[in-house]
Amino acid sequence: MTALAVQTTNLSKSYDNQSALDRVDLRVPEGSVYVMVGANGAGKSTTFKILMNLERPDSGNASVFGLDTGANGPEVRAHIGYVPEHYDAGYRWMTSARLLQHAEAFYPSWDSAYADRLVKSLDIRMDRKTGGLSKGEGRRLQLVMAMSHRPPLLLLDEPTEGLDPVARRQLLTLIAEHLADSPTTIVIATHHIHEVESLADHIAALNGGRLVAQMSRDELQKNVRRYELELPENWKAPAGLVATQTRTSPDGRDAQWTIIGDERDVAERLTSSGANVREAQPLAFEEAALALLSGERAQ
Amino acid sequence: MLVTLDNRDLRPLYLQIMDEIRRAIVVGKLKPEDPLPSVRDLASELAINPRTVSQAYQELEREEVVYVKRGQGTFVSPTMKKNSRERQNLARALAKRTLIEARRSGLDLQELIASLKEAAAEERQ
Amino acid sequence: MTTTPLHHLPRLSQVVREQLRVTALSIRLPAIALAAIAAVVTMLVIADFLRGRGGVEFAPELSLIPAFAGALMPIAVWLNEQRFGAGFMWTLPVDRTRHALAKVLAGWIILIVAVTGFVIWLLILALITKGNITGDEIIRLLPASYDPNVSAVDPSTLRTIRWSFPPVLRLVPFFAATGAYILASAIALGFRHPFRWIIGTVAAVYLTAAIGQGIADDQFWALSGKLIRTLQEGRYGLDTLLSARAESLRTVVTFSNGQRITAWRGLPVVTDWIIAVLLWTGLGIGGLSAALMRHRENR
Repeated sequence: MTALAVQTTNLSKSYDNQSALDRVDLRVPEGSVYVMVGANGAGKSTTFKILMNLERPDSGNASVFGLDTGANGPEVRAHIGYVPEHYDAGYRWMTSARLLQHAEAFYPSWDSAYADRLVKSLDIRMDRKTGGLSKGEGRRLQLVMAMSHRPPLLLLDEPTEGLDPVARRQLLTLIAEHLADSPTTIVIATHHIHEVESLADHIAALNGGRLVAQMSRDELQKNVRRYELELPENWKAPAGLVATQTRTSPDGRDAQWTIIGDERDVAERLTSSGANVREAQPLAFEEAALALLSGERAQ
Repeated sequence: MLVTLDNRDLRPLYLQIMDEIRRAIVVGKLKPEDPLPSVRDLASELAINPRTVSQAYQELEREEVVYVKRGQGTFVSPTMKKNSRERQNLARALAKRTLIEARRSGLDLQELIASLKEAAAEERQ
Repeated sequence: MTTTPLHHLPRLSQVVREQLRVTALSIRLPAIALAAIAAVVTMLVIADFLRGRGGVEFAPELSLIPAFAGALMPIAVWLNEQRFGAGFMWTLPVDRTRHALAKVLAGWIILIVAVTGFVIWLLILALITKGNITGDEIIRLLPASYDPNVSAVDPSTLRTIRWSFPPVLRLVPFFAATGAYILASAIALGFRHPFRWIIGTVAAVYLTAAIGQGIADDQFWALSGKLIRTLQEGRYGLDTLLSARAESLRTVVTFSNGQRITAWRGLPVVTDWIIAVLLWTGLGIGGLSAALMRHRENR
């Protein structure tokens, strides 16, 4: 059993009677690139804020590297590099260089040579006041601040937001290199699945605050299939299938069902219900992830 | 470019990388004792998780297609020759994929073989 | 993994030092503006002196500027921060309460440096214009029967004494600034919308005092009015903190022959001042502690 970088138990949080997190049990294995997918407001940012102890959960608890986030706020934050969703210029009058100096004072593990290299590859103007940076540049600066002290855990909230395809590719390359250089667990929250799929090796689907499913990339590959079916007349679907998308021909004899579950088990159930499984197609990562999102039951 | 990934390929990334390395060996781009790109370099070039590259390399090592020299990297096995079983493996994998595609389009084996011969003849012209 | 010693917390002295740098840098502009004003005033005073006007006396305890500066300093300190919520400052690996306190301390240090500069400037002005720097002077004391409502005063009822100014009262501006600063910091950290509370309180106080003065026969209003006046000008009131009560004890009276002179209703008492400092600073510290409780991480 691999060690867990992040673990939450029954984590719940609501704002103004709207549930942002509903009894969420996250398990993020150490060293993984764990992608949380879900629409805006699904609870992803709230999770990050709770891990950083910027918000307190209504119930349940969260731990990072075995430390409870509520009781050990500062120590937990010392091990995290956090890039929030919205760029907050904060000290608008400070230059980028000064802001990095400011951050460096708080992290003994700061690698200034690495910071310099990152700044160069991300093309950030060092003598510009942070208030005068473009939104993308500001977020890239935040990324430098998060990565330069080589934290064992990176929390990236919509890291590709607002980035053009070239900048996006640059970011992914940077993260790949960072991963190769330092043992890091990365949790990425995004609703743009395909932009980060080449990095992902775990996925969690959040829907309206509920954790619909979380699994490794291999498990996702194995457990989501598009079944091409030939249906008899008056066919009744077998009970207990988690179907996230169904398409039936007008005459009701052909259908295409996207089902989550062990392929052999699902195929057996379909066959015994009278349907003929012509084919069980695996799906590309993004499609499979989207299928997870629309799944009804938490696993 | 030793390795290019096809994002329409639905197979796990590490399998695709393995096939690409095998292909490079078969066509001679990688010769016996040639170094493979480092995990870091390949991951950076493809913008993918280095663990995926490591997994591919480890699987290739298990199949004795490559070997690891401690502190120096991964190298193509000296026993890898152009006309080795790798060529057969590659051909078989390609054939399997083609058969699946053909079946999806409702073609049987005979029709597929006939079409292959026709297409090859066209190309020669 | 267990948390590594590499990612330990920064030392508190380091945090205070960094907050000092940040706060000092952030008030660069107002500081320059004030320096410019001081330069202008200096030139005006010298011009007056050269024209034959008398010397400027060195009386920093009579100036309300240090207290004003103390009250306004928290605005400069916290202007660029999100005091509540997920501000950048709180994402750093420092305990939230300690970090807030470090920032308050940094602001205080800068304030005291500024007040010291102010006092030295006043001393220089007095020296240049050959004004009274010892504070010893001959003053007119009003009798106990003095009634401010009577327009003309009989000059024979005044006593003339030589007052030797207690040197310890030179510290008044430092404690006035500190007391005001702590109280204002408590408000800044304790309320999400401090200005609403300040304006509301000031309005309430003003109204109560005004009504209390008018409706002398209604118990509640009369008492409230009296309470407010005591808080302001009483023995241990706000004015005692701010000027050792010199402000309210000093007044201009008109003699029956029309002559107007400065006279004192009483003299500042050092022990009264010390007690007032302890009371108001104690109140401020209590308020600040309560405000910091709002920001504590472990609950």
